[in-house]
Parts: sequence; structure tokens; C-alpha cells
Amino acid sequence: MEQVRKQDLREVMVQALIRAVDEGRNLVVVVSDSASTSQIGPFQSRFPERLVNVGIAEQNLMGVAAGLSLGGYTAVTANAAPFATSRANEQLKNDICYSRTNVKVMGLNAGVAYGPLASTHHAIDDVSILRGLGNILIFAPSDPVEADSIFRYSIDYDGPVYVRMDSVTFPFLHAPSYHFQPGKVDILREGEDLAIFSMGSVTWEASSAGEELGRLGIRAEIVNVPSIRPADPEGIFRSALKTGRVLTVEEHSVHGGLGSLVSEVLAERGAGVRVSRLGIPEGEFSKAGPRSAIRAYYGIDKDGILRKALEVLGRTA
Amino acid sequence: MPLTLSIIYDILSFDMKANEISKVARENPFDASADEIRNRAKEIRKKIVWMNSHAGQGHTGADLSETDILAALFFSVLKYRRDSPQDPDRDRFILSKGHGVGGLYCTLAEAGLLEESLLQTYLQFDSRLPGHPVRQKTPFIEVNTGALGHGLSVGVGLALSAKKSGRDFRVFVLLGDGELQEGSNWEAAMSAAHFKLDNLVAIVDRNTLQLADRTETIMALEPLDRKWDSFGFDVKEADGNDPAAFIDTVGSLDPACGKPHVIIAHTIKGKGVSFIEDRAAWHHKIPVGDQVREAIEELE
Repeated sequence: MEQVRKQDLREVMVQALIRAVDEGRNLVVVVSDSASTSQIGPFQSRFPERLVNVGIAEQNLMGVAAGLSLGGYTAVTANAAPFATSRANEQLKNDICYSRTNVKVMGLNAGVAYGPLASTHHAIDDVSILRGLGNILIFAPSDPVEADSIFRYSIDYDGPVYVRMDSVTFPFLHAPSYHFQPGKVDILREGEDLAIFSMGSVTWEASSAGEELGRLGIRAEIVNVPSIRPADPEGIFRSALKTGRVLTVEEHSVHGGLGSLVSEVLAERGAGVRVSRLGIPEGEFSKAGPRSAIRAYYGIDKDGILRKALEVLGRTA
Repeated sequence: MPLTLSIIYDILSFDMKANEISKVARENPFDASADEIRNRAKEIRKKIVWMNSHAGQGHTGADLSETDILAALFFSVLKYRRDSPQDPDRDRFILSKGHGVGGLYCTLAEAGLLEESLLQTYLQFDSRLPGHPVRQKTPFIEVNTGALGHGLSVGVGLALSAKKSGRDFRVFVLLGDGELQEGSNWEAAMSAAHFKLDNLVAIVDRNTLQLADRTETIMALEPLDRKWDSFGFDVKEADGNDPAAFIDTVGSLDPACGKPHVIIAHTIKGKGVSFIEDRAAWHHKIPVGDQVREAIEELE
């Protein structure tokens, strides 16, 4: 059996940050005792003076990053997504988004990446929170190639960006030549029977489910949505209309994330297409435990997506 | 190019010139004497009374409390170029107590950094002068404050950027005293000392009043000097309504002491108008009818 090549998105991030400085970018990384969470070591070794550690103080983390950017730096924060988006919410809102400072917020270990550490450490609302704030771009990479392309774009972009990051190795879904395009969906697999939209960390699961469906003679269109803002209403509409059946998958609350985005787009355009959303149900905290078990419970792993897709199509496995 | 046009051009072009360090030493464009500053402060106070009564809203007590500090900063202390609000080597001023923005607008107008006629648009729909500072709208505003407890962290980041990039500018952050009840200030304070930011000057507008009552009644701040001292700050106290005393205190700061500075500036909220002075009720209130004339007469 072929070995699936995988890479940790944080490793891609750190290499992208090193490359940016090597290419002349005036960049600093700001952490809140999150040097290990971010795996920032190689960057710190190369550029010790470009790493700022504010200690366990996320509000200060965001304010200091905003100040550094106002002093001419591209500031990159790297800490756990729940603390970046919730603990420091008002700093994110005012110092970064509203003030439109050049800060890149890396939301590490988003979704239920912290599995057994439970809901204080889960970020199933980060995209929902960010979509409520103005000015900031929101990206969710699905694999190492896309992540690298997103980092390159984000560092070059003059303004606030949020990147939904993870803590595990991701399989490669894209060829090395792939280029992430902000405001565009990325069709991983074409199909006519139903469209499966997925965000970030569960795109691999959706892609695997798509292959499995193919073996059953079902042609699913697998639509990766790495660019939540700017979104791609036209792309979402096109795949929905083409297939007439829509399933969304996210390691996030179905409120305010990808499922909401797709539903809004289709409702506004009067697509008349029924949308089924997989994710953590509205109004609930996520279960705690091994991440694979959590994904299985909410049906956002390969098997769950497969099961739901067949249900949407009125078939049984 | 007329000054105001060039400022607008400067904002629009948003030219940070981030990697160029100017060799030209910056100065305060006015370098005003204490008497001149007192006179400027009087004019600023008249503008505040007029502007707030015209707008029908405003934080009059807070605006008048900080007026002498703002006048001292913009007419003597801060080093900047009037025609270049985005000059990367300018001293930075952050109004962390963003509700005092009326006082800042009137100071900018008095310094010719803002068109005087714009004061008529204060608080109007989509005005360039909203009720809290917005950097995209008004020159010499560095960050959008209003929610309390934000300015000092941003000031720490700016001061750190100066240290890291070898620039000489200083960062002044004006904090309300009630604002110090926000815990985020103390995260910022801890880091300012840790990073040895002797180019950072926090100024506490210590008028002892917050929105509803005395700070010491609502949530006590004292002993405030010892709090700052224990957080690693170089602590000074000054009469914040006496520009000469305030400027002397700023002048006495050791710029290479390895510690961030704080000046606890003792002020009177509503200073200059007897029926507004030291009254919590005037935090967010404006003079109406005869009060406007009475206030202006007192200030003359």
C-alpha cells in the first residue's frame, strides 16, 4: 500500500515565515508562551530578535502585535485558536480588525484538535466569531501545499488575516503547482450527483468519502472552501446548481461556519437546493475525547460523510 | 500644497516608508512656552464647550480634564512634522481613554492639524470626527480606541518596534484612571517592564472620577503609585492641569533608565468651568442654553 505523504501545517507555517524574512519581509512573530504550540523553534533559532513572547497574556498579545505592525512590521501571532479568538476577542476586533492593522492571526489547533482537553480548548466557533468582525480575511488550509500558498498570500497582503490552523499532519491533496486563490473555491473532484463542501481540516475526510462514493458509482463533487472571506458565492452556487444536492462538512459549529455560508449564498440566490450540514450542532459544546472519536460522533469523518451522502441521495450503504 | 490637503494626501497614500530611517532629528513644531500653552489650553477648552454643545453630546468632563496634558504634548513635548502624520519617526500619542476624543479633536484643530470647520461635524452621521478615535478618519490618531484597556498594549508594541528597528521615537499613552480597572492594562504593564521600554510614557489622567462616582468608591485604585512601581515602572507624579509642571516632569524622565515611565497626572475632571468641575454627572453631559455662555465667560 502506498505510503500517504503528510506534513504538519505548523512546519509549513514556520518555513514560510523564515522564507518571508529571507526574502526581505520585515516580519515579527508574537507568541503567548505558545512557542511549543506553534513549533516556532526553527524560526526562533534563525531570527531570535524577531520573536516576541508576551507570556500567558492573550489580550496583550493582540495589542502588542497591532502596535508592532503600526511601527512598520508585519506581525504574525501564533497561539491556540480558542484563546486568540475568544480571550482576546476585543483586541482582535478593535486593535486588529477595526484599526485594520497588518497582523496575521494564526489560530492554532482549531476545531477539536485538542480532543480530550475539552471545550475550554476547542475552537468550534472561531470562523463564526471572525465572520462577525469586519476587515479581516479568513482562510482555512486543507493541506500543506495550500497552507504554503495561503501563508505566502497572507504575508504579502497588507491587512488583517486569520488562518485556521491545526496540530496534526495533513495528507497532500494538491499538486506542488497548485495556487490558492482568495475568493475562489477549489474543486478537488468533479461530479454531478451531489456537492460536498468542506473546510480545512476535514477536507481530507470529504475527499476520501468522495473516492468511496465513486466506487459505489456515485459522482460527488468535492468542493474545498479554503477562502471563507472573501467567499466565492458564484463558485458555491455553480456546484450546488450543477448537482442539486448539497452537503457541508466542517469541524466547527454548523452555526456561523461553512454550513452557514453555503446556506446563505444559496438562499440569497434562490437556488432552491436543499442543504444538509455536518458539524457540531447549533447550541452545543463539542464532546471531549480522542479526536477521531469526536469526528466519528458528529459524522464528520470519512464514514460519517459517506453515510450522510447516501442518506441525502436516498440510498443505503 | 495647503497643509490640510497634504495631510489628507498623506493619509490616503498611506505611505509608511517602513524601512527608511530618517536622519533628520524630529522636533516639536511649536516648542511653545508654558504661557503659550496655557493660552492654547484656554482656546481648546472654548472649542470643547462650543463643539459639544453644538453636537448635542460629548464627554465634556473627560475632555476638559485632559486638556492641559494634550496641550503640553502637542505644543511642546511630542516631536512630529505637521505636514506628515504618517512620518515613521514621529513620536506616537495614543488616547487610550478614547471617550476623551473631543478634547483631542479640539487640540488637533488648535494646532492646525485638523480643519477647524470639521469640529461642526463632530458626532454627525459618517463624520470624520466620530465619538471615539478612528485612525482611518483623522490624522495623528494611531489606533481605534474607545473600549478601555487597549491603548497601553498597542503602545508597548509600538515602543518595542522602535527598539527593534533602531528608531528614536517615543510613545505616549494617555490612560483614564477608571480605565485602570481593566486587567489588560496590567498585562501590558508587565510586558513594558519586561521589555525595558524606556521609550514608553504612560500618563494617567488621575481626576479620581469615573462614569458614575469616585474611583475609590467604585473600585479602589490606590495605592496607585505603588502598583506601577511594583510592576517595574519609573513612577512620577505631576499636576496635570499645570502645563509647566507637566512638561518639567516629562523633561525629568531618564530616557535610558531601562524602565517604562508613568506620570500620574493629578487633574480635575471638567477643569476650567466651575459648574462642571469635579462632578461625576458631567462625564457624558454637555452645557446647554445659558450654560454655554457662562462656561465661555469663565474660560475667558
